[in-house]
Amino acid sequence: MTETVLDPAPKVKPRRRVTRRSVLIADSLADWGIRIGGLSVIVAVFGIMIFLAQVVVPLFTGGRVLGQHSFKIVEPADSLVAAGLDETHAVAYTIERGGEVGLYHVASGRRLAVPALDFGGKRATAFGRSIVGGEIAFGFADGTVRFGKVELSAELFPQATLPSGLVEVGADRIDGTAVYSRISPDLFRKTAIAIALEPEQAVAEGRPIVALDYRSGGTVERPVRTFVTVDDEGVPRLSVAETRINMLTRQARTQVSTAVLPTLPAGTQVARVMVSEKGDQVYVADRGGVVFRYDTRDAQAAKLAETRDLLPASASLGAFGFLIGEQSVVLTGSDGSVSVYFRLPRAGSGTSDGFGLVLAHSLSAHKAPAGAFAPSERGKMFVTADAGGVVNLRHSTSEQTLLSLTYSGGAVRLAALGPREDSVLAVGADGGATVWLVAAPHPETTWASIFGKVWYEGYEGPEFTWQSSSGTDSFEPKLSLVPLIFGTMKATFYALLFAVPIALLAAIYTSEFVAPEVRATVKPVMEMMASLPSVVLGFIAALVLAPLVETFISSVLLAFVALPLALIVAARLWQLLPRDLSLRLGGAPKLVLSFLALAAGALVAAYGGSTFERLFFAGDTKAWANGDVGSGGPFTFLLILPFAYVAVLVLSERLLGDWLGIERAAPSVRIGLLDAFRWLANLAVAAVLAALVATFLTAVGLDARGGMVSTYVQRNTLVVGFAMGFAVIPIIYTIAEDALNSVPEHLRAASLACGATQWQTATRVILPTAMSGVFAAIMVGMGRAVGETMIVVMAAGNTPIMEWNIFSGLRALSANIAVELPEAVKDGTLYRTLFLAALTLFVMTFVVNTLAEVVRQRFRKRSAQL
Amino acid sequence: MSASIEALETTATVRPRARVTALSALGEPFQWLLAGALALGMTMIVGFLLLILWNGATALWPKPIHVVTLADGTRIAGEPTRSEEFRPGVERLQVLDEAMRRRIRADGGYAWRTLYRTGNFDFYNDDFRWVTDYEVGALEAPLDLYFVERLEWGPFVGRIAGVDAAGEKLAIGDSRAVAAHRDARRRWQTIREIEQGEIGHVNARIERERLALRRVALDETEASPAYAQAKAKADARIAELQGEYRRLAEEAQRLKAEDERYKATLAEIGGKEKTVRLSEIVRYYPANAVGWIDRLGIYLSRWGEFLVDAPREANTEGGVWPAIFGTFAMTLLMVIVVAPFGVVTALYLREYAKQGRMVAIVRISVNNLAGVPSIVYGVFGLGFFAYTFGATIDQLFYPERLPSPTFGTGGLLWSSLTLALLTVPVVIVATEEALAAVPRSMREGSLACGASKWQTIKYIVLPRALPGIMTGLILAMARGAGEVAPLMLVGVVKLAPELPIDGVFPYLHLERSFMHLGFHIYDVGFQSRNSEAGKPMVFVTTLLLIAMIAGMNAAAIVIRNRLKRRFAGSQF
Repeated sequence: MTETVLDPAPKVKPRRRVTRRSVLIADSLADWGIRIGGLSVIVAVFGIMIFLAQVVVPLFTGGRVLGQHSFKIVEPADSLVAAGLDETHAVAYTIERGGEVGLYHVASGRRLAVPALDFGGKRATAFGRSIVGGEIAFGFADGTVRFGKVELSAELFPQATLPSGLVEVGADRIDGTAVYSRISPDLFRKTAIAIALEPEQAVAEGRPIVALDYRSGGTVERPVRTFVTVDDEGVPRLSVAETRINMLTRQARTQVSTAVLPTLPAGTQVARVMVSEKGDQVYVADRGGVVFRYDTRDAQAAKLAETRDLLPASASLGAFGFLIGEQSVVLTGSDGSVSVYFRLPRAGSGTSDGFGLVLAHSLSAHKAPAGAFAPSERGKMFVTADAGGVVNLRHSTSEQTLLSLTYSGGAVRLAALGPREDSVLAVGADGGATVWLVAAPHPETTWASIFGKVWYEGYEGPEFTWQSSSGTDSFEPKLSLVPLIFGTMKATFYALLFAVPIALLAAIYTSEFVAPEVRATVKPVMEMMASLPSVVLGFIAALVLAPLVETFISSVLLAFVALPLALIVAARLWQLLPRDLSLRLGGAPKLVLSFLALAAGALVAAYGGSTFERLFFAGDTKAWANGDVGSGGPFTFLLILPFAYVAVLVLSERLLGDWLGIERAAPSVRIGLLDAFRWLANLAVAAVLAALVATFLTAVGLDARGGMVSTYVQRNTLVVGFAMGFAVIPIIYTIAEDALNSVPEHLRAASLACGATQWQTATRVILPTAMSGVFAAIMVGMGRAVGETMIVVMAAGNTPIMEWNIFSGLRALSANIAVELPEAVKDGTLYRTLFLAALTLFVMTFVVNTLAEVVRQRFRKRSAQL
Repeated sequence: MSASIEALETTATVRPRARVTALSALGEPFQWLLAGALALGMTMIVGFLLLILWNGATALWPKPIHVVTLADGTRIAGEPTRSEEFRPGVERLQVLDEAMRRRIRADGGYAWRTLYRTGNFDFYNDDFRWVTDYEVGALEAPLDLYFVERLEWGPFVGRIAGVDAAGEKLAIGDSRAVAAHRDARRRWQTIREIEQGEIGHVNARIERERLALRRVALDETEASPAYAQAKAKADARIAELQGEYRRLAEEAQRLKAEDERYKATLAEIGGKEKTVRLSEIVRYYPANAVGWIDRLGIYLSRWGEFLVDAPREANTEGGVWPAIFGTFAMTLLMVIVVAPFGVVTALYLREYAKQGRMVAIVRISVNNLAGVPSIVYGVFGLGFFAYTFGATIDQLFYPERLPSPTFGTGGLLWSSLTLALLTVPVVIVATEEALAAVPRSMREGSLACGASKWQTIKYIVLPRALPGIMTGLILAMARGAGEVAPLMLVGVVKLAPELPIDGVFPYLHLERSFMHLGFHIYDVGFQSRNSEAGKPMVFVTTLLLIAMIAGMNAAAIVIRNRLKRRFAGSQF
């Protein structure tokens, strides 16, 4: 580059031709700096997208295996009744029918010495446990039960205070009974097991107990234990043990009340019994997959509410158990099937309590009989394992299999899921065991769960739901983006419905009908609207506009009719002016008059509101919208009227032609009158037509309410549409006006010179030419409306519902991000889902803007050719 | 319309004369609709601005206090805030007598009501009360009612029964009472300075010592001799600082004890009394007895408080100085970041890049950046700047403060960077336009004279494009100052205890969260206990924000014109 500059110099004088080094250096520095800076913008755009995507991806990656440890179990596998892991998966434990407890250091497989439970030489015939809390219960052949509690304790020790005589195993140290795992260079955590066992209680009148389940609840002062037993004759018993602790003497008195439930049919081979924590539901499952559900809300008058065979005849029951919350029941079969049932109110289910078990989720089946099952302590995850050694980590709501692991020793007897959902234990029939360390941070999300309908616990059926938080612990976040995307689209739709006509009509008028001086003042005023912060618009919309609209809703609705009508009436009156006068006043005075016409329309709306309300909305718009009073007929009439008018216009032109001779004469007062008459006549005919159609539709039973017009709330879409329209109008206006204005002047001149009127030139020459630019304007406006945040946060009520009702609120993607992201835990599911919401917004606006840009560039090229 | 064309065609064949312009060709009704749309748009914007201007300008004006005696004998004293037409519900109508009901029905089911600001939250558990017109028995404006602005519990409306100045009983009108109040306020100011300023300073230094020690512990170990040495030193210094702390606390305590001796007894309209410290009273005036000059004085003093004081009463009263400061600091920082990037990119696009596919892609990228919703920038700012970039900075440079984040959370710097990203397209587009407006002949002339490309840009192109660039920057500032949504994610808070710039080393605290006028509007209007009480504040803040933005826009125009004039002569 420098050479070309230096070239012409030589021939004249032997003057210094060398460019200073510093100049060259500065030049190349600038060269590089500017190039890098320029390219960094592209990087920025794609960088944002890639960063957002990178945060979102883990939502859909399922689970990973981080490690695996295998070891041998000492007790015979078929006598084991329970297995589990501690929070940090340092140890695994097993419990055996005879009371032997095995505790194993997971990393090394070493067995630690733990005293056995003293059953007095008896062997347990039944075992039950709660999902959380570590409560266990054993049933014996003599009809007695014993309760207990497994506790895995954790204690922190600085290195200096560690007891002596520990054996170092890998990173951990163990003594005979506990594991000390290193958690930081200087700190160890001691994990040990403690099992408390209570004295035995007799419940089943000496008959052997074949199945048992146990829950403990109530308060600290008043613990309540609920347990259910089934004896070998098929008699289920529900017992409630209430312990009262005397506050003064600290003495505990336990009172046990036992109710005998209706006996099971003869020949039922009970495989499993379950009781809910409140003791109001008892489930008994037999080996063939028949489930008996007892309604025990009143224990003394318990009823067998429902009997259902949930497995095909050829299959037998594998496992049967609750998920946390006790609303979902998981059932696996020897055919490998894994299903989740909800107990839901079902009319016509034929059950005595009106509830029925409903198949809510069918998960991918195992290839071999699935016999082992373990629920999570904190969510809707669970583990199932089959006779072929396949161990699947699953999530009930999203129906996905997060991980499919294989136990190398064949059939799996027992499975367990770590309390933090980060480890899986499988105990094989061959006497071995494997612990997998896993990570499945976002089990509840799949593409289907975020963009499709999901059946949540307690819901009637699959739905699109957004509900990210709640007060209760067992709450399951419901993260479907569909209601939010719907909200965004709804707000955008109504905003554009309001903004596009005003912005485009104003742009056409500014560009084609007003003098340049007027344009020079009007345009900056409209553009000033664009610089208003949206938080101000939102504030005014929510705190000033929303209450006003609510009070004067009928006037606001009337204004939609009255303002255009006032302008059209003004135009008809204007046509009555002598031609020379109307030509003379055509400029600024006309614009001023249109202000007056608007004011007149507004006055009519303000004062006619209550009359309008009486005529069309039964005197109370809100009650009417709610469907409480009146009929939809008058409103249907209003909706049909414009269409009827157009139909009448077209028909009269076809059938009658120019019957008054208006089109053949020069404009004059007489022609103006005739035209006004023709308009009124058309309007009258249209009104009659619309009334007829509306009466017919109402008679048929169609009501305009319920869809786009329904229950009124204060912060509603109408208000959002106004406020957001306010934000969008200047954008559409400016771009559209620029497009119209950049149509080459010679086209305009040619059209006018050929005798076309201004109106004809505008609609048939200018508008078609600038169409693509106008389209781009609408697209840009739409992009802005989609992403607008503060207005929807403040004025939209933030209810994630899916209905087009203009009188109800909405929750938009952008508002949702603004409201929930500050509270979301970093890298949690909600956090990532909100990033997905941002990415969705990004993609939506990216598509809209790119489309607008392409169209605009085509328009520029085209108008340059003209 | 098709009819008119037909008419033209048929007459053309028959007669050579068809010069009549049909009425429908003029499209008057449509023209009026167009004009109406423009008029509506103009009305909306002007009406909107007037609404804000009126409400903002009158919000701080001292209003009279009315005493309303209701039909049931209850007496209410309060400032009439606003009146509105409303629609009484069914259950409301049922309790009225027949004549009233008929009157309301005659008005189409509407009635008027007035919102009185009764204040005295400590007595009534509410600041406002609606009084419907049909409830009103009598209306009076007694001269002895005072409007008292307090530090706590919101305003008080009622009588000031007396002032107790260190045992001396004074009437409120007494000049000594006025002096006592002035002194009490000054004392309160001193106490606040000691407690927040000096004690805060000492605390900050103690905290710094502690952190420095922790740093040593992390770098070496707690067992190392370096640590023991540092610990001894730090302990000595902390002990010294704690001594200073005690001295200051004692001083504050002494002043407070003195403060306790000056009290005023307030009596509400029903006669219930309450004694408050004189220093708690910010301002008081007999609302119905002050003349308009005094009113103007109160109005101006309120504006003064609004502009230079910190907020109180959960932001619904007091000033917005921290928010003004935060908005300015953030915008300024943003423009420092955005200017080089925007200008460099525009230079690349205009002066360096070959106009081809690459540039087309960059242009579309820039346009897309301009169209990306601001909240998405906020999400990006939080995830990338604060949580990724900031967390790394914390680990490298501030390990002693972990796990509490320093840069690893929202703050001034990240807000500025996020907004810089948001506004960079504005600057790029404006700069590009300005560069395009520099005549090609000037560049060629410069190059022909032997200047290098960079020299040409630096001495010829950029100075000529400067007005355009400045305009772009100021427009970017205006956009940035009004943006709230992304800031909610990357560092704005409802109440920042410290300003981002203060007298504590390193003076400019980029990591601190800050207050912002736009967020203040959102917060006071929507998050506060009583949005009605905050409304005047919100309107005034809105007025201020809009004035700021309008001011910046106006400045853009002025600067552009001035610079244009300066360079006008030197153009070819």
